Amino acid sequence: MESPKISKISRRSFLQITAGVAALTGMSLPTTVQAGSDTLSTLIDLSLCDGCVDRETPACISSCRGINKHKIPKVVDSIPEPWPRKTIEDWSKKQGVTNRLTPYNFIYVHKAEIETAGRQQTIFIPRRCMHCDNPACATICPFSANHKNENGAVVINPKQCFGGAKCKDVCPWEIPQRQSGVGIYLHVLPGFMGNGVMYKCDLCNNRLAEGKLPGCVEACPRKAMIIGPKKAIEAEAQTRARQMKGYIYGKKENGGTSTLYVSPVSFELINKTMTKKPGQPDMKPDVKRRMVGTDPLGKTVLSAPVLGLAAAGALGWFSRRKKQVKTEEKDND
Amino acid sequence: MTEKILSEKNLVVRHSLLELIEHWAIAISGLLLLFTGIFELPVAKRYYIITVPGLGWSADFITSLYIHYAAALVFTAVGIFHLAYHGFRGEKGMIPQTGDLAASVKVMKSLFGFGQEPPMHKYLPEQRWAYVGMAFIILMLIISGLIKTYKNIYAPDMSLAIVLTATWIHNIFFVLFFLAFLAHMAAIALRPNWPMVRGIFTGKVRLDYARHRHALWIADIKKRKTSNH
Ligand code: SF4
Ligand code: SF4
Repeated sequence: MESPKISKISRRSFLQITAGVAALTGMSLPTTVQAGSDTLSTLIDLSLCDGCVDRETPACISSCRGINKHKIPKVVDSIPEPWPRKTIEDWSKKQGVTNRLTPYNFIYVHKAEIETAGRQQTIFIPRRCMHCDNPACATICPFSANHKNENGAVVINPKQCFGGAKCKDVCPWEIPQRQSGVGIYLHVLPGFMGNGVMYKCDLCNNRLAEGKLPGCVEACPRKAMIIGPKKAIEAEAQTRARQMKGYIYGKKENGGTSTLYVSPVSFELINKTMTKKPGQPDMKPDVKRRMVGTDPLGKTVLSAPVLGLAAAGALGWFSRRKKQVKTEEKDND
Repeated sequence: MTEKILSEKNLVVRHSLLELIEHWAIAISGLLLLFTGIFELPVAKRYYIITVPGLGWSADFITSLYIHYAAALVFTAVGIFHLAYHGFRGEKGMIPQTGDLAASVKVMKSLFGFGQEPPMHKYLPEQRWAYVGMAFIILMLIISGLIKTYKNIYAPDMSLAIVLTATWIHNIFFVLFFLAFLAHMAAIALRPNWPMVRGIFTGKVRLDYARHRHALWIADIKKRKTSNH
C-alpha cells in the first residue's frame, strides 16, 4: 500500500502564496507567519466573478479539468455489476459535462438570477468542495482513504478508496462523485464490496506542495478567488463583506470550512435559486455539521479508561477494607 | 471468596455477581459495537438492510455512530475495569499455565470421543487461551477506537500514518472479534460444555458436573475452606 504524500506546505511556497494574496488583493498581510497557522483558506468573491460569460467554459473549470484530466485511469470494459443493489455510476462517456460535479468535473458555476430591492441581479457562484474544518467525509471514511491534511486540503486517495460513497452521504453538499469500474475494489470482491472511486476537488494539493496555486485560483481572470493563511483570509473576507455590506458563506456552515464566499446578495436569496440535485448542491445558510451531536458522547468515551480505573480502584479498596474488618473481627473473637 | 459449594442444592457458585455483570456488559456492548460497526460500512442500503422492519436507521452513519459511542463507553470502561481490578487482585485463573497447550489437545480429542479428559481446574485449558486471545483483541479495539474517536472530535488533520494504522488495526481486529465471537458460540454448542452455560446466567453450576469435570477446582475450594478455618 502506497501511502500518499502528505502535503505539508513548505514555508517558501507558503510565503509565495501569502505574497500572491497580497499582490492580488493589494492588501498588506502580516510578514511573519505564526507557528501552526499554515492552514490555508480560499476566498471566493462573488462580486468579482462574472461567470466568464465571454468564454465557452469558465476559466476556473477549464483550468481544473486540464490539471485533473488524467486522474481517472481507464475504466474497465465491463463494469462489474454490484450485488444486490445494481447501481453503477459511469461518467466515462460523459466526461464533457461541466454544468455539475462529476468524477471528471470538480468545479462548476451556478448562475443565480436574483431580484433585490426591485433590481435584477445575476450572481455566479463557482461550486466545489469546501474543505471543511472537521469534515465528516474524511473522519468517517472506513478505510481512512479520505483525509484532511495539515494544510487544510481534504484529499481522497484514489488508491485506497472503495467507492462506497459514504463520504458523499455525510457531506451536506454531497460533493464527492463516484466513477464505477476503477480502483482497488476491482481486485478484492468487486460484486460484493465497493463500487469504484470517489472523486472531488483536492485543492490542487500536489501543486500546493510545489509552491503553486490551485488551478482555479491561478486561472481566474477576475481574481475572484484568492488563497492564503486561514486567519488572513478570514480577516480579508470580513473586510470585503463590510465594504460591500455583504454576506459570508462557509465560516460557520458544516462546523466551519476553509472556503469563504463573500457576496453582495444574501445566501438566503442565492439558496432560493438552487434546487438540490445530484452534483448540484444547494447553499443552505447555517447547515449543521451533523457529527457535532456525537461529540459530547465521544468525549465521554475518551474518558472511559479513567472511569474504569477509578471504579477498579474504589472497588479494590472497598473489598480489601471488608476483608480487613473481617479478620479483625475474627482476631477479636 | 465467592466460590462456594452448596451441597444440599447440588450446586457450586462459579461466578460472583460482579463477574456476571462484567461478562454481560462486555457481551451486550460488544454485540452493539459489532452491528453498528458493520453499519459504519456502506452496506445497509446496498444490501437492503434498511428494508428490514426496525432497521430503517441502519443506513444513517451518524445514528450508528451515536450507538457505537454509547456502547464503546461501556465496553471501554468495563474492559479497563476488568484488567485493572482482577489484575491488582492477582487473579490468575484465566491466564494460560504451562502444559495448557498439551492439555487443550487432550480435551479437544476427548470431545470428539478419543481418550479421557484430564482432571481440570475451574477453567479448561483452551478456555484460558481463548480468554487471553479475546482480551488482546478487545484491548486492540479499545486502543485503536480511542485514537479514532480523538481524531473525530479534536484532530481530523492528525498524522495520516497514525490515522491509517489505527483504522486498519480497528478493521482487522473487528474481523478477529467477530471470528472469536463465533468460536465462543461454537464452544457453547458442544454438548460437554452445556452444564457450564447456566453458570454465566445464574453464577452457579451443578455440583456433580463440577466434581466430575473440574475435580481440581473442587479440591481447591475445599482446601481454601479448611485453611480459612
Ligand atoms: S464539502 Fe463535503 S466533501 Fe468537501 S470537505 Fe466538506 S464534507 Fe468533505
Ligand atoms: S471564478 Fe473566475 S474563472 Fe471561475 S467563473 Fe468566476 S470569473 Fe471565471
